[in-house]
Amino acid sequence: MKRLHALLFTLALLPFAACAQQSAPAQTKRPDLSGFWDLAPDVKPDEKLMSLLAPNTVVLQDTGAVELPAKDFGGLKVKPKALEAALAWKPLDDMTISKVCQPPSIVYAMQGPFPMEIYQGTELIVFKLEYYDMVRIVFMDGRGHPPPDAPHSKTGHSIGRWEGDILVVETTHLSPATITNNGLEHSDKVRVIERFRLSEDGKTLLATQEFEDPEVLENRGARFIAWRKHEGQYVYPYECDPAFAEEYHR
Amino acid sequence: MRFKPLKLLVLGALLSAATAALAHHSFAVFFDSEKTVTVSGVVTEFQFRNPHGLIRLTVKNEKGAEEQWKIETNSPSVLRRRGWNSDSLKVGDEVTVEGWPARDGSKYLRMRKVTRPDGTQVGMTFGFYED
Repeated sequence: MKRLHALLFTLALLPFAACAQQSAPAQTKRPDLSGFWDLAPDVKPDEKLMSLLAPNTVVLQDTGAVELPAKDFGGLKVKPKALEAALAWKPLDDMTISKVCQPPSIVYAMQGPFPMEIYQGTELIVFKLEYYDMVRIVFMDGRGHPPPDAPHSKTGHSIGRWEGDILVVETTHLSPATITNNGLEHSDKVRVIERFRLSEDGKTLLATQEFEDPEVLENRGARFIAWRKHEGQYVYPYECDPAFAEEYHR
Repeated sequence: MRFKPLKLLVLGALLSAATAALAHHSFAVFFDSEKTVTVSGVVTEFQFRNPHGLIRLTVKNEKGAEEQWKIETNSPSVLRRRGWNSDSLKVGDEVTVEGWPARDGSKYLRMRKVTRPDGTQVGMTFGFYED
């Protein structure tokens, strides 16, 4: 008798279940960013991504072919102590055995001249950069960042989430490194927000990378970066040889 | 050993920018992108390494004296994608190199293009902001 009641109860609920299924929002299909991507500096800034930049953000115009000259920081408002250090920078300071093979952080490396591979999973996404053999892991499992005094690195600690078709990545725990390759460095307090999305045809990866650094900057900086997909290719090893620095001191 | 005379061609033309971004060191602070210089000589060394490769070239100048030139190349990964490999140049090869001169006036170029005496080009041509 109990089984009969249970069956009748279940049958009675079926129409409601079907109705609920119909009214539930459709599961958003995540774009797949996986593949080999090479920098595409000719792509115009994506309006959708640019509209999401925070107020008080200057967009640096040095992505790709353009290079900022010495003492030009692209509109970044640099705090006095950091500005003093940036203006005192001399190019040969970096051309030493100990420095020439030190990678930049992701603040500079992502817009750099080398391609990358992306491997996308559900719990994490891996960015394998050719530049200095850098590997980034973006945790997608809902974890937070480690404590502020946890070790810092040039790739930092990245956590990500999907906002519709946009992958949003927040990175902290970056060790100090160049912002503009002309003497201006960010501190270990820099916080980076990146937004990635695919073009309509899926062949171009569009991104903004914005950063704030309360120790160095009065405003915020950002770059628009784009890459094109190339099938069947892969990144090469970098394996930097510090002996190269000797060529600048002969 | 016979050397071709040194040829210095200051074109003074702003060459078109290429498709990639910066070197580890800043190109602009070390090299002048608004001039090109062409030298012909014999390869004495070719290093295929990161962050940049290097060609050493013995060049005979207009007075008949030998000069030692250094030519910085793109990184090996960029070179490979443009048709170069570690055997592209060998000691003793005669080549003509076109490149952007060092701002300090030293005999140092950033490579743009390399050709052999028969006119064939080694790999492809590079832009001044490619790494």
